[in-house]
Amino acid sequence: MRDRTLKYLLLVPAAVLVLGTTLWPLAVSFTTSFRDWRLTRSVTPGPFIGFEHYITAATDDPEFLNALTVTATFVLIDVTLTLVCALGLALLLRRAGVLQSLTRAVLILPFAVSPALVGISFRFMFNAEMGVFTWLAGAVFPPLQGVVWLGDRSAALLVLVFSDAWRWVPYMTLVVLGGLAALPREPEEAARMDGAREWQVLRDVTLPALLPVLAIVGILKTVFALKMFDQVVTLTGGGPGSSTVTLAYLVYSIAFRWYDMGYASAVAWILTAMLMGLAVWYTRLVLRKPDA
Amino acid sequence: MAAIDLHDLTKAWGNFTAVKRQSLAIRDGEFMVLLGPSGCGKTTTMRMIAGLEEPTSGDILIGGQRVNDLAPRERDIAMVFQSYGLYPHMTVADNIGYPMKLRGMGRAEREAAVRAAADKVELGAFLHRKPRELSGGQRQRVALARAIIRRPRAFLMDEPLSNLDAKLRVSTRAEIKHLQHELGVTTVYVTHDQIEAMTLAHRVAVMQGGEIRQLGTPEDIYDQPADLFVAGFIGSPAMNLLAGEIQDGRFTAPGGIAVAVRVAHRGAAVLGIRPEDLRVLPPGQGDVAAAIYTVELTGEATLVTADVGGARLSARADRGFRAGIGSAIGLALDTSRLSIFDPGTTLRIKDAP
Amino acid sequence: MRAVRTALLLAVLFLILFPIAWMALTAFKRPVDLLGLSLFFTPTLDNFRTIFSHPWNIGRTLWNSTVVAALTVLIAIPAATLAAYSFSRFEMRFKTGLFFLILATQFVPAVVVVLPFYLLFRDLGLLDTHWALVIVNLAIVTPFAVWMLKGFLDAVPAESEEAALVDGATRLRVIIDIVVPMVWPGVVVTTVFCFVLTWNEFLFALILTRDDAVTLPVGITRFRTERGDLWELIAAAGILISIPMFFLSSIIQRHFVTGMTGGAVK
Repeated sequence: MRDRTLKYLLLVPAAVLVLGTTLWPLAVSFTTSFRDWRLTRSVTPGPFIGFEHYITAATDDPEFLNALTVTATFVLIDVTLTLVCALGLALLLRRAGVLQSLTRAVLILPFAVSPALVGISFRFMFNAEMGVFTWLAGAVFPPLQGVVWLGDRSAALLVLVFSDAWRWVPYMTLVVLGGLAALPREPEEAARMDGAREWQVLRDVTLPALLPVLAIVGILKTVFALKMFDQVVTLTGGGPGSSTVTLAYLVYSIAFRWYDMGYASAVAWILTAMLMGLAVWYTRLVLRKPDA
Repeated sequence: MAAIDLHDLTKAWGNFTAVKRQSLAIRDGEFMVLLGPSGCGKTTTMRMIAGLEEPTSGDILIGGQRVNDLAPRERDIAMVFQSYGLYPHMTVADNIGYPMKLRGMGRAEREAAVRAAADKVELGAFLHRKPRELSGGQRQRVALARAIIRRPRAFLMDEPLSNLDAKLRVSTRAEIKHLQHELGVTTVYVTHDQIEAMTLAHRVAVMQGGEIRQLGTPEDIYDQPADLFVAGFIGSPAMNLLAGEIQDGRFTAPGGIAVAVRVAHRGAAVLGIRPEDLRVLPPGQGDVAAAIYTVELTGEATLVTADVGGARLSARADRGFRAGIGSAIGLALDTSRLSIFDPGTTLRIKDAP
Repeated sequence: MRAVRTALLLAVLFLILFPIAWMALTAFKRPVDLLGLSLFFTPTLDNFRTIFSHPWNIGRTLWNSTVVAALTVLIAIPAATLAAYSFSRFEMRFKTGLFFLILATQFVPAVVVVLPFYLLFRDLGLLDTHWALVIVNLAIVTPFAVWMLKGFLDAVPAESEEAALVDGATRLRVIIDIVVPMVWPGVVVTTVFCFVLTWNEFLFALILTRDDAVTLPVGITRFRTERGDLWELIAAAGILISIPMFFLSSIIQRHFVTGMTGGAVK
């Protein structure tokens, strides 16, 4: 068989999988988002109602507004924290040393832990009575004694960020370390010969060269933060009140607590649209390198 | 064994044309070298003969049969790659025997064929090793053995020596020449190394910019370069090229150069002369007065660079020659070995009859 | 400076390892030891015995996780290998578009994928089955696998394949005889990566399973009962989920980075 035909045939199995498992459901939930369909009333799709769900979300749903605010706050803190910590830690780990290689060796561990388990473990460790972190925070920093971490609106969000950062910072550090390792040594050495101090080398040579990697880390973390779900379920359950209800968790609640498939699909698609915007940006970054 | 004919062969990627309407007739049993700088289209030409690249237009004939629409495996040719193209997960024996395995040869018969091919390239002792356990030279021999086991209609060799160190390159070069002579298989050999081209080829095709600039025996291209590109590309150090003009059968250039030439041409011209055709003489003798710019001892000779009216000429002097930088010398030109080029067309101007 | 660096690194090590160590300790504690935050207690294996016996039967959950993850990679990896080879070796029309599609699918939130599948599986009676989970997990795993394998294939020089083509092999033969053996380490890495991804998956399992097909991440939430959270059992089950993943991810650590970033960072 000629390569001309074969090259497309080779794509077929994977294309079927991607089409069937991603594009089909995307299309279905897109159309569903224009329907009035509550499972409590009907098991078959209800009538089309145009943009009504989207209008409701935009103008008349405090729950949606709340989830939007929570998600935005979460993303902002989470992404900033991850970027700063991963970069700092990678720079620390860049040099050789026993402690450095030990740390590098354990960086992968948190990422191998199921996010759901991370959430439930942090729930345990921030438990008001027997949480080891609750005790530790109070011991290291006395004003924090007696804080009911998961009972306070802002504190609960911070614990959520902490649990997510615990899983992601070490991983992203590995990514930044990979980026650092790929940088040629000569420009930094030349800068040192030219008389630059270490912080000047970092600011003027290393960071500019590392920018593409940091952009990738930033975008990827934003994506995963926007989709935040597992730990919300197992760590805070969205509470206290609805102070930690993210958009993904809101979709889940609308769909599987209130069984409103139409509205759930609409909110899900608002989230998807945001993520697709990021996807376009990300793809440009990644595909910019010439294809060999 | 078979002749290979290329007719108006063209390969373009978008706006870039790698090979331009190239025609070339390679005779049965001939050792043809495609020589040129990187990006000249020589490898692309070879890959089209192999069937690894589809021509944009034009025909490829092997043994008189048009093979454009045949897959590489149907063309009955063998190829040796620059980085050897070995199968890293197979032993040396399996590497060499793979073409025969694909052709359904039985195990016993195959083992005998593998041994014969391996012995021919002195690899008999390494049959059970993996490629990564071999040196560069040994890997290249595996690739050669894999090519000769089949007795194909043609060998294609894509810079097969460029990954070897200098010493090994010389000995392997000799082995390739000997093997080709012994087997008599039509061979197309791609290289950017003029020494390889000169030593190996029956004929050389010098390529640049996707076109063949000169096709001829090594003697032809060395003694009578067809244009300024070939003149500058072949030879190390390169041929001296002096811009000047011809009036009444005399070439003159700044610095007092004036020599009789045998061309009918008049007006602007470029004179080419190889370093070994310039003789270094004491001051006051020879055709031209010059000052020494630098002197380099290369071992078998002394390379003299001299300043003549602002132009620099290289001359190959006896290896005992010594002189200080700046000292005056005379240069004599061997007028029987001059090349004259037209600066407009860059082509060689033939001697008048 | 040196002292500051050492202190910072020790703090980082503590932050990374302490939660894991604490859960490991908790798994060997009796409920009465939980409250004291004590590091000194009489270790017991009771918690592990409990989770494997009635009513928890974690063995069943473990089996479900294994089956789902294994089936998912068994389907995804061969399909992804062929596609990745095509992407890596051939020029084709709409290549950039197809790339974008593959890359963009990892940006799609799982929750939007799961809604239509929930309705479909409900109609087909497939809710709470292994196959339901396998199908939705393919949505996550396939694009990752294609992207990762393409990176590995790009790093394999084409010369050996071309040699085989000239030696007389068909393209399919080349893939089987030459390409797969050469890229095998990459296939293993990709398989492990996808296995870990599926093993830890929570959202799909939460929505699509109830009893029969529950996987480990959802299984541990079952220890939060009306009688309160049975932390010592959660910890024991948590250790059970995590140990194999620690092992798998450590052996392919360097490549984990390549996986998530789609080869943009190596």
